[in-house]
Amino acid sequence: MLQRNYIQIFLSVQKALFLRELNMRFSMSRIGLFWTFVQPFLQVLIFVLIKVFLFGRTAETFDFAVFLALNFTAFNMFKSISNMSMGAFNANRGLFIYKQVKPIDTIIARGIVELFITGIIILTFILIGFYFNYDMNVKDLELVALGYMSLMIFSFSFGLCLAIANTFMPSVSKVVGFLMYFLMFASALFYTVDMLSPELQSVVLMNPLTHFMELIHGSYFYALDIAHVNYHYMFIWTISLLFVGLWLYERLERKIISL
Amino acid sequence: MIELTNVTKFFQTKHGKKYILQDVSLTIPDHQNIGILGRNGAGKSTIMRMLGQIEFPNSGKITSPNTFSWPLGLAGGFVGNMTGRANVKFVCRLYGKNEQEIQTIIKKIQDFSELNEYFDMPIKTYSSGMKSRLSFGLSIMFDFDYMLIDETLSVGDTRFKKKSKAAIMQKIETCSVLLVSHDMGTLREICDAGIVVNEGKMYYYTDIHDAINEYENINKKSG
Repeated sequence: MLQRNYIQIFLSVQKALFLRELNMRFSMSRIGLFWTFVQPFLQVLIFVLIKVFLFGRTAETFDFAVFLALNFTAFNMFKSISNMSMGAFNANRGLFIYKQVKPIDTIIARGIVELFITGIIILTFILIGFYFNYDMNVKDLELVALGYMSLMIFSFSFGLCLAIANTFMPSVSKVVGFLMYFLMFASALFYTVDMLSPELQSVVLMNPLTHFMELIHGSYFYALDIAHVNYHYMFIWTISLLFVGLWLYERLERKIISL
Repeated sequence: MIELTNVTKFFQTKHGKKYILQDVSLTIPDHQNIGILGRNGAGKSTIMRMLGQIEFPNSGKITSPNTFSWPLGLAGGFVGNMTGRANVKFVCRLYGKNEQEIQTIIKKIQDFSELNEYFDMPIKTYSSGMKSRLSFGLSIMFDFDYMLIDETLSVGDTRFKKKSKAAIMQKIETCSVLLVSHDMGTLREICDAGIVVNEGKMYYYTDIHDAINEYENINKKSG
């Protein structure tokens, strides 16, 4: 048989897995797919309504709907990469009979699928934004993109750790379900850190996700700033998770394959 | 050529370690169709999986410059919710086939597996015979140096058995087979050499008949 080098093998495995994941998404549950694309819009709508209901129509320095859309796409990306990675080893166990499929390939492929979906959602939001004349003026597009990109690496690292933990301790998935719910409220998704009291600020800023969110919306709106963002803190969290994940993976890969 | 160097493989059980191989060094020469014999639970399938590099020894090394198929006869590897066609495409892509090659392979598999309209239905609607037919048809489309077969020659009805045996006989003109089977007739027919696995040891016989005799001795001894 034709000898292929590592990169060729990796690319053909990624292509095969990516198309397979997409196929599975489309063929398995139409409702799930529908929900994936409708959920972010519903989230924005609900929180806009809650705000109007609680505080009335206050004059604002930034567009709250755009603010929510920005935060929720980022948070949903984090959540879905983590959740999909967590189940990747177990869901693809049957594929490890093909020796070129390594467990980590399944995480990467699922991550790419999530990015693909996130991309479509962002595009839809942008189109809607332009159509309805929302505030689409970006203060610093590069920093917003950097925010999304670093969050992507953070999510992948977190997902890798979760996948390994979940393989050996299945109860992890239950804890993560609760953690995600908690993080939704503790990550500056529908408020800015500035709106909180100083005591609450220090608590919320212990959560690394808050920094990513602050970076994203702080560099999007002229009215907001990124004074609370601690790059060093974000970096340490990402590198630590990535290192721990890869280190554990390297040690346990064979065990995961033949489990 | 397959080289085993000080290979030890065990499974941890409640009653201590259960050894499949204990410090085995062995060289298996090229261009031989090899039957693997051993009693139930001796570790034949584990050894096959180790050769296919999806299971690993606890210590020692197994090296080979050759390519191996995935172990045939395992039910895994197919996605139940996807159609037979989609599953075939997936495996072709894993092995780096381009779209044109994939279409040719699909055509051949359709003819061989006789699944007809089931080919475009989800795998979960297949009977186990249909699944093995698809899996077997798929595996013979690739050119491996070694095919790893775990008793799959007994799939389907009598007519399909004949057909798959004919296909495998044609295939072994260009590749070698490592076959796990309890059917001595099949082993004699297909294999040249044999390996007997017993109590943590592994013996290579250049003649399959010697291997079968030894295997029958072991069976007699242990009653």
